[in-house]
Amino acid sequence: MNKVVGIVLQCFLWIYFVISVYPLIWMVSYSLKNNDEIFVTNPFGLPTHFRIENYVNAWNKFNVPSYIANSTFVSSVTTLGVVLLAVMFSYAIARLRWKFREAVRMYMIIGMFIPMQVIIIPLAIIVKDFHLTNTYGALLIPYVAFGLPFASMVFYGFLRGIPQEMEESACMDGASIYRAFFRIIVPILSPAISTIIILQFMGTWNEFFLASILITKENLMTLPIGLIYFQGQHATDWGGMGAVMTIASLPMVLLYLIFTDRVERALTVSSAVKT
Amino acid sequence: MKQYLGNKWAIFMFLTPAIVLYSVIVFYPILQTFYRSFFEWDGLGKATFIGVRNFIELAQDYLLVTSLRNGFLFAIVLVVFQIGLGTILALICSDADVKGRKLLKTAYFIPVVLSVTVVCQLWLSIYDPVNGLINKWFEAFGMAYRQDWLNSPSVSIIAIAFTNAWQYMGFQFALLYAGVKSVPEHYLEAARIDGASKWRAHLHITLPLMKETFKFCYVIAITAGIGAYVQMAIMTNGGPGTTNYTLTFMIIRSAFSSNQYGYACAISVMLIVISLIVTLVINKVFDRQESGMEQS
Repeated sequence: MNKVVGIVLQCFLWIYFVISVYPLIWMVSYSLKNNDEIFVTNPFGLPTHFRIENYVNAWNKFNVPSYIANSTFVSSVTTLGVVLLAVMFSYAIARLRWKFREAVRMYMIIGMFIPMQVIIIPLAIIVKDFHLTNTYGALLIPYVAFGLPFASMVFYGFLRGIPQEMEESACMDGASIYRAFFRIIVPILSPAISTIIILQFMGTWNEFFLASILITKENLMTLPIGLIYFQGQHATDWGGMGAVMTIASLPMVLLYLIFTDRVERALTVSSAVKT
Repeated sequence: MKQYLGNKWAIFMFLTPAIVLYSVIVFYPILQTFYRSFFEWDGLGKATFIGVRNFIELAQDYLLVTSLRNGFLFAIVLVVFQIGLGTILALICSDADVKGRKLLKTAYFIPVVLSVTVVCQLWLSIYDPVNGLINKWFEAFGMAYRQDWLNSPSVSIIAIAFTNAWQYMGFQFALLYAGVKSVPEHYLEAARIDGASKWRAHLHITLPLMKETFKFCYVIAITAGIGAYVQMAIMTNGGPGTTNYTLTFMIIRSAFSSNQYGYACAISVMLIVISLIVTLVINKVFDRQESGMEQS
């Protein structure tokens, strides 16, 4: 009896498996079909004839390569900036000794709880005042600033766990504090750094809200924005749209499949940091 | 050593870049939002101080009712789907003899790593009234039941919220699953020896012990619902008409379409206050449950 109940319950897991994955399979399938197949002859199943030309078209005729280049550039620079600044900052509040470090830490934590939409208006004005509208800076600077609180708190937690003998021995050997930081502390931090790299890169790659408000020029558009732009112009070309969507998703899905455990752990750690 | 770690110049060098950037881009705008909510301002010219008149106007704005209603409906869909269904799935999945657990967890999580635009576009085509997946399936089963999912004033907000619920289910599931797993096995074993069924044991032991997890899940689901914007911006542009407006949608519209920056800031303040109240209430509710249990 119990066995039967167990099997029935497990069926629910697989039903949700289908709900979760089938729309994506459908998307990849229709990216390989033409409109006739999508709408009439074969709406549900796998493509019978692989129409790679949808991908070739999307790639050649439209600005997909430029969107990808922008996304790659913006995500890489943002990630680099966040890691560099957050590691330095968290080192100062976690290990160096001064009076107000606890207050400064609290000040930074506030940023984790501020939804982006609440400060978008002053931010848009700042971007305009600094003449950053429609430049990479309009994305890079806010992205780095928004990434700092979370990354700093993750590094902070990690740094607090390192014994102080590390710096003591460096001091004994006559190494400067900067040398101790770059040669000893940063290498020890590398697991936390790689976690932040993955999360920050994914987050920036997919970011839509800020980019949709601060970027209007097509040659600066990142993939999420470019996709909307593309859709506006080619609303009836479902196969082409599917191809662009698949191209946009592939890097993130691969990244996730390679680093499955690390990504999941990192995201669940984020809940521990926030509470 | 104290001198070594108290190197003033080093502290300054390490701290300054992050602090300056954070202060200018994140913290200063928060203050600005509060300050500007008391002004009539078009974002360019001179701002005039008008006290709380923005808030009075907001209270009378007919869009506010729509926006609040949609925010709460959105939140309810997320709570029921992600936390309700997510908890049930997490409990089943934690069972020792589940096969293919790794595959299941990976599949649930894949939508989380996709761009929200991809997911919205995908669901736009799923909901498409003529060629969409859902209506096609109805057709395939010979049912004449067709819906223009996104153009119906009553259904569209649910359909849009479901898109978000579907995408981030894997995230909530991962949190809930970690919560279930954090309950020590021997607690459950003890209950089973006392004759409780597996599900009774879950109900009385696992779920109460997951309080911290639930607290966090509720806070993110409900604040995400109240602040929702991207899905309606991409999928229906707030329509049909203004039926899918939310608070964030009002902010963006007032600021960037009608240049009422002061008014938009007042709406932002309202959004922060509501989110804060919700967070506090959730914390209170869960903490009270705990003290209630200790008494009984």
